[in-house]
Amino acid sequence: MKFAFQLGSKIALNPDFVVERAGRYFLLNETLVKVARKDFYYAGAYLGKVKNGKFFPSFNLLAMLAKGEANKIVVEKKAAWLFICGRDIFRKGILAVRGSRKKGDHVLVLNEFGECLGFGKIMGSLDETSGKTEVAVRNISDIGDFLRREA
Amino acid sequence: MSGKEFFVDRYRQLGWEFDDAQPRQAIRINVTNTKGKNIEERLRAIGIQLEKIPFLETGYWVRTSKVSAGATAEYLIGLYSIQEAAAQIPAILFSDLKGKTVLDACAAPGGKTVQLADLMGNTGVIVALDVKKRRLAALSNHLERCHVGNTIVNHLDARQASRLKLKFDRILLDAPCSGNFAADNNWFKRRSLVDIERNAKLQKAILTEAEACLRGNGEIIYSTCSLEPEENEVNMDWAVKHLNLHIEEVDCHGTKGLTKVFGSRLDVSVERCRRIWPGETQGFFVCKLKKLVNK
Repeated sequence: MKFAFQLGSKIALNPDFVVERAGRYFLLNETLVKVARKDFYYAGAYLGKVKNGKFFPSFNLLAMLAKGEANKIVVEKKAAWLFICGRDIFRKGILAVRGSRKKGDHVLVLNEFGECLGFGKIMGSLDETSGKTEVAVRNISDIGDFLRREA
Repeated sequence: MSGKEFFVDRYRQLGWEFDDAQPRQAIRINVTNTKGKNIEERLRAIGIQLEKIPFLETGYWVRTSKVSAGATAEYLIGLYSIQEAAAQIPAILFSDLKGKTVLDACAAPGGKTVQLADLMGNTGVIVALDVKKRRLAALSNHLERCHVGNTIVNHLDARQASRLKLKFDRILLDAPCSGNFAADNNWFKRRSLVDIERNAKLQKAILTEAEACLRGNGEIIYSTCSLEPEENEVNMDWAVKHLNLHIEEVDCHGTKGLTKVFGSRLDVSVERCRRIWPGETQGFFVCKLKKLVNK
């Protein structure tokens, strides 16, 4: 999975259980594979969709990646809330960094409880000594999307 | 045969004096997603005070809230769902659910589907149907938000469930119904006895199909948010007389099902159903049916 590699993850999904329906990808299991009709609307764990050749991960997939080895930042309460509201992350809001610090790499954004809130792109230095008011991680996707979808 | 006076008089005949209800906002903790987490404390820290609902193991009233309970990080991560208290009852009435094959016959928007998945610990399989395709997006969002992994959603009319060629151990039939005034300010203006009779007919058709898809000894939980006996006790009376089903005792919030409805006597077993008149919750009706093996 190219997307997972971009996040520094080595997750391996059984291709026999990954099913595509109209550009949307789902991870099924042995039981679901037996029961699912060919025309299902949704099944198992939603992984994401491909639109115009670009992959948009689901929050299920991001949460799965966050459980293992991957590029991650842990952010404090206020930064977490702003991120869910669609905002970028400043260096001063970052509590911890795991994995890549390289500019341009993708990184999962976790709250202080270790729960995945979405992911972003590293824009500047994640180093503690760097400018604290610079955008460190640009928001690409966050769980506030569930509310935006309903609007 | 419509209007507030008409319906209020019907409720009086059924033994309930009309009272303007103010259902309280309720949430349900998703146990699978909150293992080792103190959700009450986390919500308190952001200004949401909860109060345990005495008749629900994982249900809480929102006592006070400084923020919208539907827009917190905890909600968006799937740690809890906003679910009306009475609507939390049907799913908990099933016997063991772990590893079972479950049909959620009229699933959208998915509050009870997610609750079933939680009770099943994401084991087994839920097949969730809805006849309206536009409602499937809301159902899917709900499943994704709560990290449900054991559900298959199909765009299918519950009256055609046998097309799935599956036999189910458990069927949740939260039937399309006329609703009730506590959940709809214009209910008395919008509803008439004609709607109720039309819905009752539809509900019988879905029940018939559900029974056909149910394994022997399997269970159906039938529920509506209607107060009208034609959609509730009268349908259950019909089910025990025309389908291979009998009514099981349930131990839950609510009063006994009515066995005398506008001069008609119903099967005594209908008393085992539960009727919830509006108050802190909206109006609701639940019944547990079991398929007989040999009849």
